[in-house]
Amino acid sequence: MDAAHHRSPTWAAPAPPARRRGILTATALALTAALALTGCTSSGYPADPEGTLDRATGGTLHVGVVHHPPYVDATGAEPSGSEVELVEGFARQIGAEIEWTVSGEEAVMTALQKGDLDLVAGGLTSQSPWTTHGAITRDYAEATGPDGKTVKLVMAVPLGENQMLTELERYLDVAHPGAQP
Amino acid sequence: MSEKGQRRFGRTELPPDLQKAVKKAIRLEWITLGVLAVTVLAVGLVTGSSQAMKAAWIEDMLSLIPPIAFLIAIRIINNPPSRDRPYGTHRAIGVGHLVASVALLVMGAYLVVDSAIGLVTADHPPIGSFHVFGQTVWQGWFMIAVMLLSVPGPVILGRMKLKLAEQLHDKVLYADADMNKADWQTGLATAVGVAGVGLGWWWFDGAAALFVGASILYDGIRNVVTAITDLADARARTIEGNREHSVIYQAEDHASSKDWVRQAGARVRDEGHVFHMEMFVVPEHGAAPTLDRLQSLRDSLADLDWRLEDIVVVPVPELPAEVHGGAPGDLQSEGGQRFRES
Repeated sequence: MDAAHHRSPTWAAPAPPARRRGILTATALALTAALALTGCTSSGYPADPEGTLDRATGGTLHVGVVHHPPYVDATGAEPSGSEVELVEGFARQIGAEIEWTVSGEEAVMTALQKGDLDLVAGGLTSQSPWTTHGAITRDYAEATGPDGKTVKLVMAVPLGENQMLTELERYLDVAHPGAQP
Repeated sequence: MSEKGQRRFGRTELPPDLQKAVKKAIRLEWITLGVLAVTVLAVGLVTGSSQAMKAAWIEDMLSLIPPIAFLIAIRIINNPPSRDRPYGTHRAIGVGHLVASVALLVMGAYLVVDSAIGLVTADHPPIGSFHVFGQTVWQGWFMIAVMLLSVPGPVILGRMKLKLAEQLHDKVLYADADMNKADWQTGLATAVGVAGVGLGWWWFDGAAALFVGASILYDGIRNVVTAITDLADARARTIEGNREHSVIYQAEDHASSKDWVRQAGARVRDEGHVFHMEMFVVPEHGAAPTLDRLQSLRDSLADLDWRLEDIVVVPVPELPAEVHGGAPGDLQSEGGQRFRES
């Protein structure tokens, strides 16, 4: 009935939390500063909860591709195309061997969500409806879509693997400079 | 934005210091709107996929409602009572309070459920990067920076408004100030949530969102209860809502001190800023409640406090039970036998 029951009677006094708040704020600022330093000195921040980038680095990068020329051409023995070249460049950078999985969009996105794949390419755009299955990168280039409108090209990595996401975006920023504002 | 003319609460003429307080409150609310607009814009630019950021963003947008409600209400209540609005337009404050608190309640509940579902289904928030000045920078840094920068403004404004709200007995302003004052927790929780995600603790984000949602929900529930209690004509209480307002006792004591009054009891409700008072008086045996006596009692009651203006003095043979709090039909003025026995 009375809202006041939630509150202590001395509620109106401005003093009590002031000191504690000061300490809390100081702690938080110190924590943030510490994190900032960590972030500047090591590449492990942001980190991957499931360690995707760590596992792929110097190991195997599991890449799912969808046939979608000219970005991905999966008709040959090995996939080719502009996005395949970008992914190969990224794999070289982290010293990883690529294991290709060629399939339909739903199949590779489901595999990405399950954690079986580390990266998906195949002419995905920023309008992709697969945001529940994977983390879409920032768009790295523009192209003309089937309806003649401009589309923004993206790739996908596992959800929440933020080191993987950030490193791939960093690579794409360098490999495809000028596409970004 | 404030008008140069005299501010009034309906028929109630405000003393000069309260005039100043109203103008200051109006100015502070406009500043609040400006600060919040910048915050909403900045947070919107960096929000991305973080659940906690989304929650903080929604909270910032919701915090726009109370200042707007206050600014509208303060204009409306300037109107004096009329034939169509015989009690004046003070209730505008109560209506504004209810609208603002229901918005809080609904959004708080939504955020709590949404982030709880996110935690249960183990949603890993993707937070990518921005490309600025040729550098690829993790978006989380921008989120943390914006959240920390958004902390001091509302806290300072909230503290300033809290004082004015108590002075003006304005519940909308009070609710607004109260929320602003607690805003630093939201900003800090969100920043810590994002920082945790950076360390690879995906659940930090959802946990922070849950905390923010719960604090919005708590604000909402508390304010809905107070708003409804006031609109339902509860006995007037202090602005914190935890004690009966001392003006009631002052007025009853004052009325009882008149030599022709045997007993006095008041029914007082909070109309928003000002009180509506019905003062029941039982005259002494043989003392006539003349027009002069009633009128002078009414006038001296109005002089007790600026909140008292709409006063009705009613001579009665016995105080109504809801005024003395005893049993109906109890002869209070004769000693209240039944009241004491029960």
